[in-house]
Amino acid sequence: MSFLKLTNVYKLFTEIPAVEDFNLEAEQGEFISFLGPSGCGKTTTLRMVAGFEMPSSGQITISGKDLTYVPPNKRNVGMVFQSYALFPNMTVAENIGYGLKASGKPKAEIKQRVEEMLELIHLGNLGARFPSQLSGGQQQRVALARALAIRPQVLLLDEPLSALDAKIRVELRQEIRRIQQQLGITTIYVTHDQEEALSLSDRVVVMSQGRIEQVGTPAEIYTTPSTEFVARFVGQINLLPIHVVDQPAGLVKVGQQPVRTSRSVNYSDEKALRLAIRPEELNPGHREDANNLTGVVETVTYLGSIVRIRVLIEGNSVLMDLFNERRLRLPAVGESFELNFDTDACWLL
Amino acid sequence: MKKLFKIDVWAWFWGILALLYFFLPMYGTLDFSLRMQKGQISFLAYQTVLADPQFMESFRYSVIMGLISVSLSVILFVPTVYWIYLKLPNLRPVMEAITLLPFIIPVIVYVFGLIRTFSGPPFELTLTPFKTDILITAGYIVLSMPFMFRAIDVGMRAIDVRTLTEAAQSLGSNWFQVLFDVIFPNLRVAILSGALISFALVMGELILGDFLVRPALGPYMVLVGRDHAYEPAALAIISYALTWVCLGLIMYFSRGKNTQQLTGR
Repeated sequence: MSFLKLTNVYKLFTEIPAVEDFNLEAEQGEFISFLGPSGCGKTTTLRMVAGFEMPSSGQITISGKDLTYVPPNKRNVGMVFQSYALFPNMTVAENIGYGLKASGKPKAEIKQRVEEMLELIHLGNLGARFPSQLSGGQQQRVALARALAIRPQVLLLDEPLSALDAKIRVELRQEIRRIQQQLGITTIYVTHDQEEALSLSDRVVVMSQGRIEQVGTPAEIYTTPSTEFVARFVGQINLLPIHVVDQPAGLVKVGQQPVRTSRSVNYSDEKALRLAIRPEELNPGHREDANNLTGVVETVTYLGSIVRIRVLIEGNSVLMDLFNERRLRLPAVGESFELNFDTDACWLL
Repeated sequence: MKKLFKIDVWAWFWGILALLYFFLPMYGTLDFSLRMQKGQISFLAYQTVLADPQFMESFRYSVIMGLISVSLSVILFVPTVYWIYLKLPNLRPVMEAITLLPFIIPVIVYVFGLIRTFSGPPFELTLTPFKTDILITAGYIVLSMPFMFRAIDVGMRAIDVRTLTEAAQSLGSNWFQVLFDVIFPNLRVAILSGALISFALVMGELILGDFLVRPALGPYMVLVGRDHAYEPAALAIISYALTWVCLGLIMYFSRGKNTQQLTGR
C-alpha cells in the first residue's frame, strides 16, 4: 500500500479550479517533485498536503490515515518554505528545537536532537547565532533541519532554493538529496526549475493549469513526454508539422523531406500531429543509416559548453545543440546545412 | 567638492534653524520655570508642583489609567491586526480607516457622545467613579487607536506573518503557542512603540478627564495654569521630560540584540 495518497483531489478558489482531479501515490522514502509553471497548482497541492489549504473534495492519506481535514499542527508533516521562515527572535538551536519544545519533549531530548540536526546540516558550530547572522544558504539548511527535527512522516519543500544564487542552489540541492536518502523520508518538492526536478527526484509530476500532465521518472519525462506541454516545458524541443506517408512503417514527411520514426502513434487529426525531437539528438552532416534534413542556417549562438544552431527547414526553425569541442566547425549564417538523427530519437506527438 | 561644501552649509543652516525652532521655546519655558525665586535660579516651582498632593494624585491616576489602557489596547489590537493579516487581508483598509476616526472626530464631540450614550440606562457608567474609570479607559483606548494600530501594522509588515505562522503550525504549534512564541516576541519593538506613544498621550489628555470629572493630569495642568505663573512652566517641562523618557525607552528597546532583522527571511 502506498504511503502518501492523494485521491481525486480538487481545490476551488471562489469557483475557479486551482487543482483538478489530482491523483498520486507515493511510496515510503520516495522523492517526488511537482514541476510546472507559476499558477499550475503545484504549491496549492503541497499546501493541501501540509494542511494549510483544505481540498474542496477528495482525500489525502498518509500511512493509511485520512488527514484531509486534520489541522496542520496535528499532521506531523515538516515544511520548508521558499522564504526560510526562520523565527527571527530565536537562535539557530532554538529554531531547530522549536517543534520539539512545542510538543512538550524533555529538554535533554531536545538538546540531543538539535545537536544531531546541526551535525546533519554541517552547521555544528552555529547553534548560538540568530538567523540574521547567517547567509541565505545557511538559513535554508537550518529551515531544513528544523523541519526534520520533529521526525515528520512527510517532508514538504516549497521552492526552497529559488531565493538562492545559482552556485549555492546546486550545492544545496545535492545536500537535500543526501539528507533525504540518509533519513529515507518521503519527500515532496515543489519547483518550476526542471533541472532541479530532474536531478533530485525519483519521480516527477508535471502539472499545468491545475491538472497532472504526466507522472514519471526523470528519464521518462524527458525522453518520452506524453503531451506537447510536457515536451515543451521540460527541456528544449523541436515540434515540426508533418504529414503521414505510411503509419505502420512510421514514415512521415516534413515538407518534402522523408523522416522515419521507430515510435508509432495513434492519431485522430493528422493536422495536429507533430514530429518531436530534442535539439541535442541532432547531428551535423549526412548519415546513410539515419534521418537527414536539409535547411539554411539562421543563427549560431555561443552558449559556453554548447553551441546552438538554428536551421530553417521547410519553413520551420529547428534548434540543434552541439557540444563546444575545439574541433567543431561552425557553419556560417545563410549557409546550406544538412543534419541527421536516429529513427528512435524522434517521435510523433 | 565645491558643490558638496555648498550642500553641507545649507544642510547645517536648515538643521540649526529647525533646532532653534523646537528648542528655543522649550529653553524659554525651562528658564522661566527656574525663576520663581526673584533674582535667582531655583527649582522652587518644581518643588511646589511635586509637593502638591493634588499633583501626585492626578499623576498617579493618569499613570494607572495609562497602564491599564495601554495593556488593554495591546490585548485588543495585536490579535485583531494579526487575524486581519492572516485571514482577512481585504479588511485592512477598513481597519485603517476606522482607526483614523479619532483624528477626524474632535475629542469634545466624542466625549459628549460617550456621556450621552453611556451615562443613562442600561449602562449608567457615570454614576460611580469606578464606572466612570471604565468609560474613560475605553475612551483612552479609542484615542490611542491610530498610534497603536499603526505601530502594530508596521511591525506586522516587517515580518512575514503568514509564513511564520504556517512554519510554527507545521512544527506542531497551536494558536496560543504561535501567538506567544512567534508573533508577540517578533512584534516586541512595534508593541512597545505603540504602547509608549499611547501612554504619553493618556498622560497629557485633557478633555476626557475634564468632562468625565476624573482627577487626571491633563485637567490638573490646566487648573494650575489658570491660577499660577511658574508652576505651569515647570509642569510643561515635566511633561516634556516624560515624553522624552518614553521616546528614549522606545529607542533603547529598538536596539535589542536581534531586532535589526525582523523579516524572518
